[in-house]
Amino acid sequence: MKRALALVCVLLCVGCNREAAKSSGKPTVALVLKTLNHPFFVDMRRGAQEAADRLGVALQVQAAEREIDVEKQMQIVENMIQTGVQALCITPSGSREIVSALVKARDAKVPIVVVDTRVDAKAAADAGVHTETFVGSDNYQGGKLAGDYLVKVSGGRARVAILEGIPGHETGDSRLRGFRDAVGSAPSIAIVASQPANWERDQGFNVFQNMLQAHSDIDTVFACSDLMALGAVEAIRAAGKTGKIRVIGFDALEDAKKAIAAGAMDASVAQFPAEMGRVAVESAVKVIHGEKLPADINVKLELVTRDALK
Amino acid sequence: MVAPGTARRETESPPTAPVRAARGQLPMRARQFGTLIGLVALSGVLWILTPHFLTLSNLLNVAEQTSINAIVAVGMTFVILSGGIDLSVGSIVAVSGVALGMALRDEQPLALALLAALVTGSICGLLNGLLVSFGNLPPFIVTLGMMSIARGAALLITEGRPVSGFQPSFRLLATGRIGFIPAPVVATAIVYIAAHFVLTRTTFGRYVYAIGGNEEATRLSGVAVRFHKTMIYAVSGLMSAAAAIILTARLNSAQPIAGMMYELDAIAATVIGGTSLMGGEGTLGGTLVGALIMGVLRNGLNLLGVSSFLQQIVIGAVIVVAVLLDTVLKRKHRT
Repeated sequence: MKRALALVCVLLCVGCNREAAKSSGKPTVALVLKTLNHPFFVDMRRGAQEAADRLGVALQVQAAEREIDVEKQMQIVENMIQTGVQALCITPSGSREIVSALVKARDAKVPIVVVDTRVDAKAAADAGVHTETFVGSDNYQGGKLAGDYLVKVSGGRARVAILEGIPGHETGDSRLRGFRDAVGSAPSIAIVASQPANWERDQGFNVFQNMLQAHSDIDTVFACSDLMALGAVEAIRAAGKTGKIRVIGFDALEDAKKAIAAGAMDASVAQFPAEMGRVAVESAVKVIHGEKLPADINVKLELVTRDALK
Repeated sequence: MVAPGTARRETESPPTAPVRAARGQLPMRARQFGTLIGLVALSGVLWILTPHFLTLSNLLNVAEQTSINAIVAVGMTFVILSGGIDLSVGSIVAVSGVALGMALRDEQPLALALLAALVTGSICGLLNGLLVSFGNLPPFIVTLGMMSIARGAALLITEGRPVSGFQPSFRLLATGRIGFIPAPVVATAIVYIAAHFVLTRTTFGRYVYAIGGNEEATRLSGVAVRFHKTMIYAVSGLMSAAAAIILTARLNSAQPIAGMMYELDAIAATVIGGTSLMGGEGTLGGTLVGALIMGVLRNGLNLLGVSSFLQQIVIGAVIVVAVLLDTVLKRKHRT
């Protein structure tokens, strides 16, 4: 009994102290990521943390255990709101689903900065959610960058196979549109095959192998992500055609850069996640200080080629 | 919410014996109390560490976040009490959610859409039950198969895409409040009260314990074990569907990839709550406390800004320690 009383006293004291320690004055920004087990988001966190340190902001970074778990992401947003964060930066795990969480942020008057993946505009409008800005790369522009590169290096003459992402996925669709629009300007560039390989390496291998069977004259492959491009690289190697087929990917993963340096791949479009993280935190701080932001903040994209790697 | 510890039975006794065998009372009470103390202690620690934990809005927040796992865990408790396991609950959540979503998108009346979800979930559970009891297959294998089948079905009928675009009133199931209590919390309370009643006050409930305690003896004493086992898995499917309704309303979208790994959370809640994986012992009150411990833990670690990797370690450790304590307590009371 005595012990229990003592415990209660200790708890009460700590409880009181804690209230005093609460107001340290540093603004807190939450950064809720899709996941922390993908290099892309690890880089984003690094960029965000550097900006936070520089600007004197407390940064809370959280992510669900699985990239696709929107419900867990929603829980994290709800919990972050409870801690009284002044701004929320988020990379939505689901463009529509996340709106329910953003409604809660709005109700708590926490401004929202969307990073990397857009929130579904209609769903947001229906729910009356206002986001301060979108920080990310324009996937359409990225696809265009890849297409323009092909037009340049091929002299406007090529027979192209395309490996698409999961159908209906906004990211892949935009990249595809950008690429098609860019090569559409060159009448002698023919797209002979275009099929989904669902973002996966082994599917990239299988699908491209089948394409090669059907069209032995393919001289270029554009993959909407590097994983699929790397699969195609293996299929090309298996067919003994390494160096004879151009491979253009997207994301500039480490493995892809190595393949480019080794000559197995030609180019990949690089995004800059650390830059996204930095801009996201800076934008959040601006919002906290009452500044208005443009609806879109574009983070640069760059084409990585062998020349660029040297 | 639910009176704990009224349901302990002597597991070895035939099912016709009195429900409350006096000798079995104390250990169960003590263990449940232990789990509850764990929850209180955890809350106390969080209260010390962060000013944001012990506020009404956060506690309601935790209750709401816990509701989905808590409801899935009801079905899991029935199954584990009977000595089985159900690995398919997460996939059943997905396929029932998708059924609900598609009905809503086609502008069916809300009641019909909800019914579609509940029927879908129950059918999946029923199939599990039939294969386990009449097919004489191990529950692990049957529900592992269903886990893949239901997930595949959800992906197939949606072509892998989330279903959304529902009438605005549907979301009230998640955002509505009764008094100041969020609707999902009220739904959870109703489910627990009803399930607790079934488990402790009906013959079906008694047979659940009896089958888990000693299936052979139960069969020999004239109970239609196969029928009741089938129904137990159907209950689990039904509970998954009920959770799917809340999940779909919360996200305002039905995802074919929803509910992944829910089976592990539900098993964890059940086991932390003191239900024996061997069957025959446990209560729903314990499961609720178990689910709350997981919910409070996740919430608290978020509030404290603990890295998400460390969170997984802490949650895993809590599961193991809870069961360890449980085992130790059990041993102490037996001797």
